[in-house]
Amino acid sequence: MIVFSPRWILGLVFAFIFMASALAAEDNKTVFPAIESETGRLTIYSTTDLAAMKPLIEDFQKSSPGIAIDYLEYLTNELNSLASEACRKGEPLGDLLLSSSVDQLLKLANDGCAASHTSPETARVAGWANWRDEVFGFTYEPAVFVYNSRLVPPAEVPRTHVELADLLRERLDYYRGRVGTYDIRLSGIGYLLAFNDARQTNTVFGRLLESMARASAVARCCTGEIIEEVAKGNLYIGYNMLGSYAYEAALRHPHLRIVVPRDYTLVLSRGALIPRGAKEADLGALFLDYLLSERGQSVARSSAFYFTETGGLPPDVDGPQNLKESGIAQPIRIGPALLAVQDRAQRQRFIEDWSQSLIELNSPAWTRE
Amino acid sequence: MRILLVEDTRDVGEAICKRFEATGHAVDWETNGRDAAEIIDFTEYALIILDVMLPGMNGFEILKHIRKSGNAVPVLVLTARSEIDDRVGALDLGADDYLVKPFDFRELEARARVLMRRHTGGEATNLIKCGDIAVDRAARSVHVGKREVQLKRRELTLLEVLVARPGRVFSKDELLDQIFGFDEAANTNAIELYIGRLRKKIEGAKARIVTVRGLGYQLVSDDAP
Amino acid sequence: MRHERSLFARLARRISLVLGVGAALLVTAAWYYAETAANKAYDRLLVGAALQMAESLSVEDGILTARLPTSAFELLGLAERDRIFYRVIDTNGQTLTGYDDLQSPTPLDDVDNVPRVEEGIYKGEPVRIASATRVLADPAVSGEAYVIVAQTNEARSALTRELTLRATGLVFIMSLLAFAGAMLAIRYALQPVERLGAAVHRRDPHDLTPVSVDVPRELDPFVGSINHFMGRLNERVDLLQRFIADAAHQIRTPLTALSAQIDLLGADKLDKAGRQHYERVRERTGELARLTNQLLSHAMVIHRADSVQLEPISLVDVARRAYRAAIPITVDPDIVISFEAPDDRPFVLGDAVSLREAIVNVIDNALRHGAQHRLEVRVGASDTEAFVEVVDDGPGIPPEGWEKATQRFATSKSHEGSSGLGFAIALEVANAHGGTLSFRARDEKGFTVILTLPLYTGVVK
Repeated sequence: MIVFSPRWILGLVFAFIFMASALAAEDNKTVFPAIESETGRLTIYSTTDLAAMKPLIEDFQKSSPGIAIDYLEYLTNELNSLASEACRKGEPLGDLLLSSSVDQLLKLANDGCAASHTSPETARVAGWANWRDEVFGFTYEPAVFVYNSRLVPPAEVPRTHVELADLLRERLDYYRGRVGTYDIRLSGIGYLLAFNDARQTNTVFGRLLESMARASAVARCCTGEIIEEVAKGNLYIGYNMLGSYAYEAALRHPHLRIVVPRDYTLVLSRGALIPRGAKEADLGALFLDYLLSERGQSVARSSAFYFTETGGLPPDVDGPQNLKESGIAQPIRIGPALLAVQDRAQRQRFIEDWSQSLIELNSPAWTRE
Repeated sequence: MRILLVEDTRDVGEAICKRFEATGHAVDWETNGRDAAEIIDFTEYALIILDVMLPGMNGFEILKHIRKSGNAVPVLVLTARSEIDDRVGALDLGADDYLVKPFDFRELEARARVLMRRHTGGEATNLIKCGDIAVDRAARSVHVGKREVQLKRRELTLLEVLVARPGRVFSKDELLDQIFGFDEAANTNAIELYIGRLRKKIEGAKARIVTVRGLGYQLVSDDAP
Repeated sequence: MRHERSLFARLARRISLVLGVGAALLVTAAWYYAETAANKAYDRLLVGAALQMAESLSVEDGILTARLPTSAFELLGLAERDRIFYRVIDTNGQTLTGYDDLQSPTPLDDVDNVPRVEEGIYKGEPVRIASATRVLADPAVSGEAYVIVAQTNEARSALTRELTLRATGLVFIMSLLAFAGAMLAIRYALQPVERLGAAVHRRDPHDLTPVSVDVPRELDPFVGSINHFMGRLNERVDLLQRFIADAAHQIRTPLTALSAQIDLLGADKLDKAGRQHYERVRERTGELARLTNQLLSHAMVIHRADSVQLEPISLVDVARRAYRAAIPITVDPDIVISFEAPDDRPFVLGDAVSLREAIVNVIDNALRHGAQHRLEVRVGASDTEAFVEVVDDGPGIPPEGWEKATQRFATSKSHEGSSGLGFAIALEVANAHGGTLSFRARDEKGFTVILTLPLYTGVVK
């Protein structure tokens, strides 16, 4: 049995940072040259898959053809470490940070690392998705269940968290090792979603966690991995997957199905933040305004994130007609409460608990890979 | 004729007395207002000459007293008061005439004579006319048309005589008697003088004084046929 | 005389000054209270959060553990825009979680005074810092653990600003209302003054009786002074009237006596030279009498112009009386003297005594210096004016002498004993009646002096 001490975790994080830094120079940077002669260069640090952002960036460049964009992609925790470090040193990281771990962005803003930005576009942002005009949520992404329709019979498709827990308990053998979720030790989003699950209903979450532990649930670093495995049939069910990635994958894999849970659905909004003192803060603001604008939202809906706050669910998604109106949507408010999520003692404690519940009971599954 | 003089200034009183006595009038001179008022009650006078500022009782009070008791005796008021506060004038209180001091003694005498004659004369009728000449005997005024003409006493008497009988020819002697009476020495030259003056004064009237050679004068109206 | 600002303006200025200062004080006070209230409100949240955090400390497996409640942050999140810093310190003084460099302004072991809230600076920003203590008595971990929570001041400032702004708005409105009310009150309070002023202004200048306007008690001394002054003025006027009357009497009586003595003297008993002297004494005495009369008359018309109320009078009646008074019975019988008046008796607004005096003087002048054979007095009227004309067949006054003729004692014939006051009196009266005294140059009828007065068109009683 492996004991997860804080030091161990810290070591792990640093290892990632090191790897990320090493990678940064080559692998994760994509350059979008200006369509016309270059008038400015915007550097975006993001945790969002390039595939999702690409349509947005290209559409943005149509309206601002003089702007070249360097797009650097990181894991959430990597990006957070880089940004905190940069802020501490007073050397801002890029001109715009995009992260699905809004709690990390919020912490950055709370530490004074963000610049304030107001415009007609920011005024349209819902109150829960704007903190101090510094951190803005620009997507609306439900945390969903995914399943492989060839492997999960229609009668067994879980539609609430309780149903999922019960299913795993009842069909323990069938689903053993076939349920995947985030490894919250590695994934900021996973931690954020799990923490909010725990806040939402402690008992249900406890039951679900226990069921998943018994069913030797598989923890992975990233949404993509789990979804791909579900699509391939290695895993049957994926829990707490980001709707946007899941839907994108479902478009490619016909057997991949999406369920928006009907008891409650956590909704995550990807955050955007302009670092304080950014060199091209104006360009960062310009791109941010684009993301928040009618046009950016419409592009996001059609080819990047698929879900929006207003409007119905995309086709072929099992769930209520309209997430917002159904009342089951629980947006994760971008506000000081996320500081509690970000508290290091809290995090350590929570991850320990989670690990104990999910991993240690099931260490073979963890070590299997 | 008998005159009462009420005047407290010795010099003035003396002069007035002298003047009237010289023309044959009897003058009773009182210096005290109250005494004068008593005397008036039981003595008949042809004229009262009344000073206003008097010891005992002032002239206005005496005047009021006289008129209240129904006495119509002519009163000539002598006043030294300015009219600043004499809102009620002597004439309003029933005086027949008044003179403001200092006055000309000849004027006083003339006015006194007019008053005395008016009182004793007693001409009853009043308005006689010829042409546009109107003689008011009571007011002793003459109008030629709208014009009031100032005539001297004898001129007025002469005009009265002529107007009373228009057309009739008066001889000079006749007129002499009418105008001067018998006690005054005058000759017919005086008549010619008065006729001359009178003609001048009624100039422009619709009646003329015509000389009837050898006979005398007549008044002829232009309206007469 | 420097024109004093109106009472209204003065009061308005002072009241607005007081209101302004009052408003400034109130706004300052409002700001102070707003700040206190905002601090109190948000300090409660801060302390609440600190206490919640302290409460969340527990000892698990012999280790001090902090499970910071989300609710504590949500509580602080009520101040939507404020940044939050916190630090949990374990019993050994080590940071358990939170911001390592966050310090309490006063030492944490000052246990008498917790939870407390203080001002401080963190990360270069002014913050409010709350500190709470948790006493642990676990066998493994015992002692005091501390929680420090800090929050930036944006929400407080915003609340302070908003409260102050609203209070300022209220103060402003109240001040405006108070000012408007005060202005109305002052207007109202000053009305009696205006009323009194109007009453005094409206007054007939000859009315010297006490003013009787209802005024507030405060104005009584003022009205009293006016009435006192009017009383004294009245006395003076009376005194002046008496003086003129007395002077008239005092001078006239000896003058009369003097002429009486001259009359008594008689010319008959004198030789030729004596008779000449006698005639000259008589003439000079007559002149003196006339001068005295004119002086008094002049003084009288001037006095009456100021003091006598004008009333509608028949100009014909006045002129006829003047005519009778002015023509002595003893006048030269060779002069044709006539008086002519229209049938419709023109009325003028005037003082009969003054007018008579004016006309008498004009006729007297004509008689003495003009008329040789004829003197006519004519009264007439046009649509707007009434006039008295005195025509004589004397030499008259040449046009160049007309202006001088109306000046006092100015006459070309002073050696003949004219006082020259006659026309001055007539002019004085004409002016007082809004009329004129004019001359018409000699024509075939003679020289004419015209006294013109505005026609009175009102109803005659």
